[in-house]
Amino acid sequence: MTRSDYNILSSRFGRSDGHLLSVYQAEGGYKALRMALTMKPEEIRDVVKESGLRGRGGAGFPTGVKWGFVPQGSEEVYFFVNADESEPGTFKDRFCLDYDPHQTLEGTIISCFAVQAKLAFIYIRGEFGWLVDRCQAAVDEAYAAGFLGKNILGSGFDLDVIVHKGAGAYICGEETGLINSVVGVKGQPSIKPPFPAVSGFLGKPTIVNNVESVASVPWIINNGAEAYRKFGTEKSCGTKLWSVSGPVKNPGVYEVPLGIPFQEFFHEYLGGMVEGEELKAVIVGGSSVPVLPAAEIMSCNLDYESLQNAGTMLGSGGMIIIPKSSDMVELIQVLMHFYFDESCGQCTPCREGTGWLHKIVKKLRRGEGTADDIELLGHVCNGMAGLTICPLSDAAVMPMRSFIDKFRPEFEALIQETAPAEPVSRWPRGEQE
Amino acid sequence: MAKLTIDGKEIEVPDGTSLFDACRDARGGEALPHFCYHPDLSVAGVCRLCQVEVEGMPKLTIACNTTVREGMVVHTRSEKVTRASTQILEMHLINHPVDCPICDQAGECGLQDQYMKYGLYDAEVEMDDKVNKGKAEVIGPYVILDQERCVLCSRCVRFCNEITGTGELGIFNRGDRAEIGTAPGTELDNNYSMNTVDICPVGALTSRDFRFQKRVWMLKAASSVCPGCATGCNVRIDHEAGKIYRLKPRYNPEVNGRWMCDKGRMTYKTVHADNRLGDPVAGGQPGTWAAVPGAVADLGAREGFALVVASPQQSLEEMYLLKALAAGSPVSGGLSDADRGEKDALLLDGDRTPNRRGLALLDIAQGDGTALAALINRATGTILIHGGDPAADPEVAAALDGKALVYIGTFDNATAALARVVLPGAMWAEKAGIFVNRDGRLQEFKQSVARHGNAREDWRILAELMAVCGREDAPGTLKAVRSELAVALGLETDLNRMPERGFVPGGDVR
Repeated sequence: MTRSDYNILSSRFGRSDGHLLSVYQAEGGYKALRMALTMKPEEIRDVVKESGLRGRGGAGFPTGVKWGFVPQGSEEVYFFVNADESEPGTFKDRFCLDYDPHQTLEGTIISCFAVQAKLAFIYIRGEFGWLVDRCQAAVDEAYAAGFLGKNILGSGFDLDVIVHKGAGAYICGEETGLINSVVGVKGQPSIKPPFPAVSGFLGKPTIVNNVESVASVPWIINNGAEAYRKFGTEKSCGTKLWSVSGPVKNPGVYEVPLGIPFQEFFHEYLGGMVEGEELKAVIVGGSSVPVLPAAEIMSCNLDYESLQNAGTMLGSGGMIIIPKSSDMVELIQVLMHFYFDESCGQCTPCREGTGWLHKIVKKLRRGEGTADDIELLGHVCNGMAGLTICPLSDAAVMPMRSFIDKFRPEFEALIQETAPAEPVSRWPRGEQE
Repeated sequence: MAKLTIDGKEIEVPDGTSLFDACRDARGGEALPHFCYHPDLSVAGVCRLCQVEVEGMPKLTIACNTTVREGMVVHTRSEKVTRASTQILEMHLINHPVDCPICDQAGECGLQDQYMKYGLYDAEVEMDDKVNKGKAEVIGPYVILDQERCVLCSRCVRFCNEITGTGELGIFNRGDRAEIGTAPGTELDNNYSMNTVDICPVGALTSRDFRFQKRVWMLKAASSVCPGCATGCNVRIDHEAGKIYRLKPRYNPEVNGRWMCDKGRMTYKTVHADNRLGDPVAGGQPGTWAAVPGAVADLGAREGFALVVASPQQSLEEMYLLKALAAGSPVSGGLSDADRGEKDALLLDGDRTPNRRGLALLDIAQGDGTALAALINRATGTILIHGGDPAADPEVAAALDGKALVYIGTFDNATAALARVVLPGAMWAEKAGIFVNRDGRLQEFKQSVARHGNAREDWRILAELMAVCGREDAPGTLKAVRSELAVALGLETDLNRMPERGFVPGGDVR
């Protein structure tokens, strides 16, 4: 297999005209839509289910299965394309929408037909202002060409698409937070159950899918589930976009079949580290997943199962390469500040815990920490993990725990050797007694 | 019905029951630790304290957002659960100022209670490291907010959204900078704002009226009924050493649920008002109760009263006695148009008297000022007015001028000024009695504080007046009055053993 064989998502990446409808159509665009509209919605759901496509936003939940959660016979269904890409290290959806918005749009229309949604939103991260214009231009072209609006291509299916610009909150990438943000209430996750597929936007069944997942749909319809499964492993099917940052020779966005060895990816695609740097660790799937030291990641394959077995997660595919010269405690301070800043504040463990972790790490870096503080970090993590409405709390805990786990000596090096045995009272003893 | 096992105990609850409620049942009435759950508000699920272990589920789950399922096996006291709730409680406390010594909530605080049950660890955060927020922010006419004490349970926000529908409060900002607040230029000003103080599990929202007045553990409680309007919200009077400090709603699903209005809460102030009547007055001179029979007799009451005027402010027993005292003379229920005000859809009634239905129950008719003045003008002999202030109406005042008037009342008002003999009665908090609310529900209120000055229970005054009139059937106890009243009304319920939530004669038909 050569690299061009798996340009499912990225064939127009880097081109200056890939975003135009004319180019997209000339290269086979909207063929899948014509085909899909002759199928039954449940047939599309079955094809996507059989393809093994898993949600590319980070959780990896099978897309077709999620569609199946919409209660049968639902009259009013809504569809959201989640382009609120804000996980640190992740910038793949941005490429999809920037270079090839029509592919995502075609996937959106097919997905909407599959779940019988008549209104879809493309929710774009507020900081991606220019993508709003790009997507709106694509949507306008699609309306003009009859791919959107009433009676699409004479099929009797109606669909409107609204391009919505977020206001720049990480938590609005969580699907219920995203829905709330569009409704106009505070952008914070809702308690589950009910899940959005049953009761979401305006209390109606709502499907929220990541850009990359949606963009994969046209290819799957065109080529069939079987063809898609040829890429990847048994449980990790298809191709995956990896956005790679850090001091490698060729950082950027790559599409590779799931399951390729990290070693191969690192050397053949990324070109290894830049001169003078050595690989220390990799955060493989966006800042929320546990970090792996170089020795551990080198034996991993890039698919859901191998990475899980190695103690981390594939996540969003936002790969952060960490060089030897990096201070891990400084890195975790940056990450802890991020989660502290972005916690919506509704669940107590996350609201209080993210701030507390950040304070302790800062204290360590100021050189005021004690050995107890490292234990305390673990203790705070225990009070946060798995106890909140949404996974932001866990997203802070996973890197925190793994950084201590894998790089403990760097934390210990910051501890004063002569820590005071007892905390100094703020009230002089004489005055107290 | 669904059968499930909680802590090894099998229980059966109706389908759709919240697991939170089922756990409370199974734990012998002891609720799971919680701050955000409230039975009358939507589920927020944010305090995360009511974690339970459900067999077959990979993670702990919060009980308040779980519905019972047949065959569920739940653990509420397992090590995993206890560790989680202890840690979450610790999270609630890390940025809390722990200023209990100066906090009004101390003694009835969710944080204190939960800490004693589930916490008891040493603080890990230095005072200097805590997040600082606003202190003593006045957010409305009755409510003051301490941001640092707030655990962001959102009960107050949900109350204003879901119960009053006024939506004044919101949570602003995010993370540990999140704060309760009102929109710029607005304040928490609705008829029910002080309920947010009640439902606030900590000392974040406190009552401006009660602030710094009393430590709550010193207060004694008496169950009562609010006299502020015809709704008859069930209340608890919190008092100490003869002084009332606050009214709190008392749960009655048939009347007020768990709420009461701010106007009602302030009614206690009148008990300690400056213009209370403290001594009997005859001929303009304060005197003693011993001189009262003579003074009333001198006014010509030995032959009975020519007219008695009741008031919807008085208890049902007193109305009954007053009618008995009239012995066939005309009985008026006072002014039909007095004591009216704004009403709302929740609890506050436009009729600002607690017992107008009581008058109707005893067939005592009310009228306007003209009608009452006509009755007064027709009366030849002594007139007795019990409660209210009918002379506030100019027509009534003109008719009363120069009449032989005996007034039993609580305030030095226009009627008292016209009376030859003024007898100080007790206010509702100073006596026991029954009010009949707008739905015809008979509800008992009990005495909480000692009577002002030399004021007496009204039934005793009325009994004494009966004796002056030469009547031999004057009752000796309030119990006896109630027994007679029950017979007179044909009630099966023993009025001396009133049900806690009151009753509607003939059944609970609203």
